[in-house]
Amino acid sequence: MRKTPEPSAAVDLVDVHKIYGTGPDPVAALDGVSLRIDPGEFVAITGTSGSGKSTLMHLVGCLDTPTSGRVTVAGEDISTAGSDRLARLRNRSIGFVFQAFNLLPRLDVQSNIELPLVYAGVPRRERHQRALDAAAKVNLTDRLTHRPSQLSGGQCQRVAVARALVNDPALILADEPTGNLDTANGADVLRLLAELHRSGRTIVLVTHDPAVAARAARIVEMRDGRIVKDTPT
Amino acid sequence: MNWFSGLLIGLQEIREHKFRSFLTMLGVILGVASLLAMFALTAGIAAGWRNTMQQLGGLERVGVSDKQVSLEFADLAALSPGRTLADAEALRGLPHLVSHVAPEMQIPATLSAPDGQTVSARVTGTWPDNLTVSQHEVAAGRFLTDLDLERGARVVVLGDAKVAQLWPDEHGTDAEFLGRTITINDRPFSVVGVLALYEREEDRRRREATAKGGPAPARFAMGGRSGGSGRRDMFSWKNESVIVPLSTLYHEFRSGLPETPPLAMAKLDNLNFRVRDLQRFDETLTAVQNLLRGTRRGVDDYDFDTREDWFERMETSLRSTQLSGGLIAGISLLVGGIGIANIMLASIAQRVRELGVRLAVGARRRDVFLQILAESTVIGMIGGFLGLGAGVVLLDLLGRVAPLESPPVIEPSAILISVGFATAVGVLSGLYPAWRASRLDPIAALRYE
Repeated sequence: MRKTPEPSAAVDLVDVHKIYGTGPDPVAALDGVSLRIDPGEFVAITGTSGSGKSTLMHLVGCLDTPTSGRVTVAGEDISTAGSDRLARLRNRSIGFVFQAFNLLPRLDVQSNIELPLVYAGVPRRERHQRALDAAAKVNLTDRLTHRPSQLSGGQCQRVAVARALVNDPALILADEPTGNLDTANGADVLRLLAELHRSGRTIVLVTHDPAVAARAARIVEMRDGRIVKDTPT
Repeated sequence: MNWFSGLLIGLQEIREHKFRSFLTMLGVILGVASLLAMFALTAGIAAGWRNTMQQLGGLERVGVSDKQVSLEFADLAALSPGRTLADAEALRGLPHLVSHVAPEMQIPATLSAPDGQTVSARVTGTWPDNLTVSQHEVAAGRFLTDLDLERGARVVVLGDAKVAQLWPDEHGTDAEFLGRTITINDRPFSVVGVLALYEREEDRRRREATAKGGPAPARFAMGGRSGGSGRRDMFSWKNESVIVPLSTLYHEFRSGLPETPPLAMAKLDNLNFRVRDLQRFDETLTAVQNLLRGTRRGVDDYDFDTREDWFERMETSLRSTQLSGGLIAGISLLVGGIGIANIMLASIAQRVRELGVRLAVGARRRDVFLQILAESTVIGMIGGFLGLGAGVVLLDLLGRVAPLESPPVIEPSAILISVGFATAVGVLSGLYPAWRASRLDPIAALRYE
């Protein structure tokens, strides 16, 4: 077990516990998890519902802090970080892709992609350009003025990927990205993630589907809040 | 993210939900409308009163009145000649402080027009400055001149109501009465001027309204003692004026009686003067006091009548009107604010997931707080501006349903205050919803269905 995180790790968890509830019956969602993900890795985290994979994703995604143990994301220890620092990390270092796409329905594609840049304080003109570049990477340049409701599920998820990319984060965190898609569109999104991986990005894919997990270079299997298997494919 | 992009998001939200936003704004709109209407109405009333006061001589008009001599002067009281023409002449020695001086002597007299009626009247002998001091307005002909005074000319200037009483059957223009001869206590005087009809704004408009419909010239319908309501009495002393040169009045009707003092020492019935500069009002009164101490041989037997008391009463009454109007508007704005807060809370509940996404991509708590606050602020401001429009419409409707005594006056400050209040209501009512939104847990918000 590593005692000090090496600065080069994209994600480093050391003996992390996450306990929900403080009453007589607390639930340990994570029960001593240690995990290191290096830059450029493509890791799938699998497990059944209740295995703790979502909690792990929340910690890696800087949406939450651990009850005990150390979590380091992009070189920053977030174990005791306040909400503003977490927000900044989410903004600069992490790109989220959700199962339900989570696009803002009243914004067009362009504005949805720009959203992280708005909170990063990027000037308007630069925002436009970077959103265009990100849209080009997911092949959606011709849909920029559409609203999410005018797009197919596959297109929506590609918008979400573009949004995750736009601020050039260290880590892309995809939570069941194919869960709401048919097979063809799901494969499409997975291909996109694989492409991003090939171009050097770190990707963490959370899924309960072994077939989806098989696309990753390394599979971490969780059960009852612990890592039970960590295998390269 | 800054305040401005927060405003943009707020505007976008409002555009997306036009009708809901409008309903939300309704309370603010009504509040601002009533606030504006209240301001405009009271400003109109104030303007009407100022106008009335101006016609009565304005704040600048000061009267010198008699006062009970205090005990320490009791044995000296007989030394003072009282209010005499000498006082008036002395006041003329302060031209930098006192712009006009109008001494008055009055006698009851019988007026008779050979081609008209015989009526009784109070005849006032005065100086030409009376025109300015009493804020008379000559409708036809001229006022008294220095030459009239010097010559003791037998000329008279008549108030509008007096003309109506002397020639009740003639309905011509004011100019037709010029040059006619009337007798005052059997001595012939030539009419050289007719004064304008003095009346309140309200009366003037009512008269003009009836003049259009009715056949009788309204000046005569309203003129005279019996014509007006009790409240018109404010102007009756002006409308009933019969004005002759002071020297004429004295020589024709006062002298020749036994023990008549020379003109300079003759007692006056009124002594009014006009302060040149209201900024130096107190200074002027002090200077006049010093002057009168000389003419009165040191006896403190005079006092000043100023309009300040009247003015203060007016202010107090206006303030209480404003207070009650403001209270109603305030309650309406309060209800509007509660409405905004309520809708904002509902809107947040509807948008939990959106806020979760914003938090996930890097919005800080303060960004979410600002966004919601900006939205409610924009609602308040737009409500304020719509309220201005509604206020104007309201005033117009009020004017149609019940003609107002004084036309409402919309002052720029009233607009600023109204919109300012609306904006403040928007900000205040957004605080709690914005705080609630900024406390959202991003994980729970993202899961929210």
